Amino acid sequence: MSRSAAVRALQERVAPVTLSREHTRPVPDPLAPLFAVGGLPQGQVIGFTGAGSWSIALALAGTALGEDGWLATVGVEDLGLLAAAEYGVRLDRLLLVTTPPADRLAATVAALTEAVDLVALAPHRTLGHSQARRLAATCRERGTNLLLLDGGRRWPLPTDLTITTTPERWEGIGQGHGHLQQRRLTVEAVGRRAAARVRRITVLAPGPGGGVAPAAPVALTPVADPPTDTLAPVADPLAGDSPVGASGSLLDTSVDTSVDTASVA
Amino acid sequence: MAVVWCPDWPVVAWGIPLDEPAMVVVANRVVASSPAARVEGVALGQRRREAQGRCPQVAVLERDLDREARLFEPVAAVLEELTPRIEVTGPGLVGFPTRGPSRFFGGDASMAAEVVERVEPVLARRGDVRVGVADGVFAARLAARSRAARAGPVVTEPDGAAAFLADLPIDVLEQPDFTDVLRRLGLRTLGAFAALDAADVVGRFGRDGQLSHRLARGEDEYPPDLRRPAPDLAVTWQFDPPAERVAGCAFAAKMLADELHDALGGRGLACIRVAIEAETEEGRTQLRLWRHEGALSAAAIAERTRWQLDSWLRQGTGGREGGGPGSGVVRLTLVPDEVVPAVGRQLGFWGGRNERAGDVTRVVARLQAMLDPEAVSVPELQGGVGPAERVQLVPAAAVDLAEERPATRDEWVDEPWPGRIPPPSPTRTHLDPVSIEIVDRYGAPVGVDGRGEITGPPALIRALESSDVLDRRSHAVEAWAGPWPADQRWWDPADHRRRARVQLTLDDGSAHLATLEGGAWTIEATYH
Repeated sequence: MSRSAAVRALQERVAPVTLSREHTRPVPDPLAPLFAVGGLPQGQVIGFTGAGSWSIALALAGTALGEDGWLATVGVEDLGLLAAAEYGVRLDRLLLVTTPPADRLAATVAALTEAVDLVALAPHRTLGHSQARRLAATCRERGTNLLLLDGGRRWPLPTDLTITTTPERWEGIGQGHGHLQQRRLTVEAVGRRAAARVRRITVLAPGPGGGVAPAAPVALTPVADPPTDTLAPVADPLAGDSPVGASGSLLDTSVDTSVDTASVA
Repeated sequence: MAVVWCPDWPVVAWGIPLDEPAMVVVANRVVASSPAARVEGVALGQRRREAQGRCPQVAVLERDLDREARLFEPVAAVLEELTPRIEVTGPGLVGFPTRGPSRFFGGDASMAAEVVERVEPVLARRGDVRVGVADGVFAARLAARSRAARAGPVVTEPDGAAAFLADLPIDVLEQPDFTDVLRRLGLRTLGAFAALDAADVVGRFGRDGQLSHRLARGEDEYPPDLRRPAPDLAVTWQFDPPAERVAGCAFAAKMLADELHDALGGRGLACIRVAIEAETEEGRTQLRLWRHEGALSAAAIAERTRWQLDSWLRQGTGGREGGGPGSGVVRLTLVPDEVVPAVGRQLGFWGGRNERAGDVTRVVARLQAMLDPEAVSVPELQGGVGPAERVQLVPAAAVDLAEERPATRDEWVDEPWPGRIPPPSPTRTHLDPVSIEIVDRYGAPVGVDGRGEITGPPALIRALESSDVLDRRSHAVEAWAGPWPADQRWWDPADHRRRARVQLTLDDGSAHLATLEGGAWTIEATYH
């Protein structure tokens, strides 16, 4: 251990009290670089935007909640609950609240902050400025994180952190064979104060076997071998004859043509 | 205090003579049994099968709390003729202060004999009645439950509660975890525990220890100075038209109980005795006190209110609901008769296993009141093919959030479901699937033939309606997989569904699960 590291470690140990904003929740290792303090600060409001961002939200929730944390969703009736479970969210620690009337949205979320650790919401109506401010203060005080699954479009205040995803490529799926397995995803986080610098990483979400995984540093590996899935590839016997392994770009027309002509024949 | 106890009330309420073997079960565990069944080896907490193994001829009864409360009402009514201040703890158990009645009947012993004389005809030999008189409720209850009470009322000396309790085993406190510790410390009787210094007990065992210590010394659980004069928090409900059936009152009971509980909670108080008061059309007012050691939760208050109304509404009608003219309830009032500082002890209702679950349960109850009873739900896994079909939503009120919930675990559904798409699952399952069209590179619509094969490789898709799932432009299909045919309920012509699913990744980076049914494609779910 270097001298400065030793001093830091010592500082941490003797620090008398931590302020509530320094309390963090654990995050999956591959996502840790997104957070200035290495974890999810309690009480923050986080926006998720872009295709694939729900996967990141669920992966964060799955780890941040741990064994005994509770997640509530408000007005996210279309959340894929199987996917949530695959990302580590315990289904027996999950409350689903239907979309409340606009005038009770803030009260609903505020009530939830008394008992749950994370509230995921995608409000259908914009919250009032003062309501949002009060809600944010309540969350800070109680340490509850708000996860805005609509990217914060209906949140009138700046979010503490906005996570933007850009999908690069799905792996495991080809032209009529295989199935969606993993997705390379670029994830960008930018926020306020300590998080003002843009942080960008590339991860697999979902990764192999579910969850989020670090992406291989070089993204040259083409589509994986078609998995020996008993259901998918053999559905079209001709697909088995066609060359496989190319990713789905326009260059694949030759493959498609061969299939078409073959089926005509 | 005097306590009147009708042993084995859950069995008695079913009208089974106590010399016939019978037991009452809840969730396949024995919660009450007749003496005849106990002789055969049936014990509380036993599994139903085990009990039946020991006593094959035992009658198995389901617990019916409403019935127990209703049939206990005549017993409570005759006691009420003796003294107006009776407090019902639960069906089968009632207490009242002795000062007035004992003076009237010439002493505790003759008062107790009078009680037995009046209650026995009501029970009509179906059950037994035991009476105990002592300084406090706890001692009086133990006196009623003592072996000597079988022969006749047990009356302890005035100020003799501590002496009466001293020889009793520590287990009568009915807190197994706590008494286990005491026993290992060598404290086997209440007397030995009572001899400890109160300050030491608080220091070592905290508040629960302190309350138990008070009981062991023959005092009431809450010292008189802790019992505050209840603030004026009575809550009232007017019925218009008058309620003649308990079903019509149940909602009011729930609302009032919640209101009362919230009002008390806001002041940091909990209610240990509640007065339930009803006024009928004829202007008759009936009042009954209900007591609970610990504290009455909102649900417990609502339940007791419902029991009480049920009993009153059936009065004088031979047990039929909807009594004679003028008997409908026009006003219902709940008065917190005795309150103590709330210390969150009601968490014990959830077993204390998971305090968080208690908080969550309370919040759920609040949201249900604020929004609507179905507003909060919890997921459970079930068999199915599509990602949304494999999870069902259950109203949160219908499950115990503090308990293990096996239906949320993967192992819950293990039979194979042909047509399932391998994980990862889509993160968004659309409530209203979005209509789309899919064409191959020649512009011909893509379908799935009778053998479950796709008619042409999907090349372009376009949404046929606006949504936040996919814009209305045409999108090139970059890769696809499937189809996964699913032939559901083929044995049932009315419910038969044939569907085929394909996974698609599009040029905008999105990935979807598209479903073909009846010739039309929709986006069922999105890998968001």
